Amino acid sequence: MHHVVVERWSRQSSPLHRRDARGKLGVLVAFLVAVSTTPPPAQLVFAGYGVMLLAAALASRLPLRGMIARAALVLPFSATFALLTWWAGDPVRALSLAEKSFLSGLAALLLIATTPIPRLLAALDSLHVPRTLVLVIQFLYRYLFVISEQAQHMRLAALSRSGRQRGQRPGLVSAFRAAAGAVGVLFARSWERAGGIYNAMLARGFRGQFTLAEPERFRAADALFLCAAVAMCVSIRLAL
Amino acid sequence: MHIPDGFLSPPVWATLDVASAGGVAVVARRAHRESGNQNQIPLLGVMGAFVFAAQMINFPVGLGTSGHLVGGALLAIVLGPSAAAVVMTAILCVQAFVFQDGGIVVLGANVFNMALAGVAAGYLPYRMWSSPEGGARWRTVSIFSAGALSVLVSACLALAELLISGVKMPRHMLAVSLGLFAVSAILEGVITVAAIHAIERLQPVRALPGAPARVAGAIGVLAVLAAAFGILLASAAPDGIEHLAAQLGLAHTAAWAHAPLAGYDAGVPGPAWLRKAAAGFTGMLVIYVISLAAGRLLSRQRNA
Repeated sequence: MHHVVVERWSRQSSPLHRRDARGKLGVLVAFLVAVSTTPPPAQLVFAGYGVMLLAAALASRLPLRGMIARAALVLPFSATFALLTWWAGDPVRALSLAEKSFLSGLAALLLIATTPIPRLLAALDSLHVPRTLVLVIQFLYRYLFVISEQAQHMRLAALSRSGRQRGQRPGLVSAFRAAAGAVGVLFARSWERAGGIYNAMLARGFRGQFTLAEPERFRAADALFLCAAVAMCVSIRLAL
Repeated sequence: MHIPDGFLSPPVWATLDVASAGGVAVVARRAHRESGNQNQIPLLGVMGAFVFAAQMINFPVGLGTSGHLVGGALLAIVLGPSAAAVVMTAILCVQAFVFQDGGIVVLGANVFNMALAGVAAGYLPYRMWSSPEGGARWRTVSIFSAGALSVLVSACLALAELLISGVKMPRHMLAVSLGLFAVSAILEGVITVAAIHAIERLQPVRALPGAPARVAGAIGVLAVLAAAFGILLASAAPDGIEHLAAQLGLAHTAAWAHAPLAGYDAGVPGPAWLRKAAAGFTGMLVIYVISLAAGRLLSRQRNA
């Protein structure tokens, strides 16, 4: 699955992996703002952003082809609107829409592929994102794959028992009801699981906050990285 | 409909980022207060994971196609509006960061459309029409309207933001997309009804006190519908943003959001590129400080 690959990437080692998550988040936002404010006809600027991302991808020592393929997942949506814009008579803007969304997607992927999720969430917490939200995201991410797998198992069970017999298809209404029933069962199981999780956490001394095994420190190298990368974004945006 | 980065213009996403940062701070505080103890936190996270997984279950709708649950209205019904908004925000964050589904600087726009406006629009008919005294039929109507209205409002807002940002669309495509929105709204309504009924067979869903307010509810739903379509049509007009700003009395906000990021006039002496850079960073800093101040203020109130 998609997440397994990116999660494995995020635990490798490279100069980019070692940077503080807050610094990387700051650079990402600066890059995205620069891309977002670039006027459509400035094709040279987009090429500059592309080179910058390429350099970052090489520094991260991750497989380039795999990263580009994953970033291209955004293209179905953006291609639709790009085509509509083209059709409405603005091909330059259409091209820039596709470029902007692809470059932004690749930049976001670079962050997530070099930063393990717990570190990213700790960074959001230290940047004063509401703690309730950070905790909910943490639990969501932790149980996302558990419950998705449960849903897959239920689907398989339904298919192997009654879902579709050879030559005859179940009626639309009964198939719809079966899907609704699956959602209901999944809900009840998730609800029950949440109660169990809370009790288990209390038993282990949870006090309303997660802590990292090794806390992040914002070093001089991180400050240098942040300043250099932001300066690069600004100069590509303004100089080219 | 998750808007990716690169599609919204800076004034649009900056305004919505600020609005959503404030809105999320408020709903996070309310959800925290309503939960009483921390029992709610794992529950909210697991409910978010449940919606993710439930979106993988296909509902056949005929002609070989299938739809799936979106979940904003369902969450509002079973968890209440504040908790549902927090869960939807968490889902959108995970989709944006982990799955590159929706952008990062436009996260505020997606949160506003789906987690704040979508959940609020979904909760309105349920709150007004559903109660034990109202009977089963009205309850079903309220759940259907909750699902349909929440999807319709989110979709109209997203398309309006794209159009205001200068994404162009041939005129007749607007009617086509409105038709598509209506179909997906009806589908979400039907799926939400079926899912809530299935859930209720296994465990009780929290009931709302009081008698249903049918007339007030109808007026509210019609007002929300009119606002959603109005915003969409205004944004499709040639002078979309002025039209919209004038209609909503937002002219000042829009001008303010426009100035530091797109107007490039920070009043800094020096060469043009320095002024532009300074203006850009001032804009980002202002957004961050406002969010931080809102958070501080709200958490102080919470502790008091």
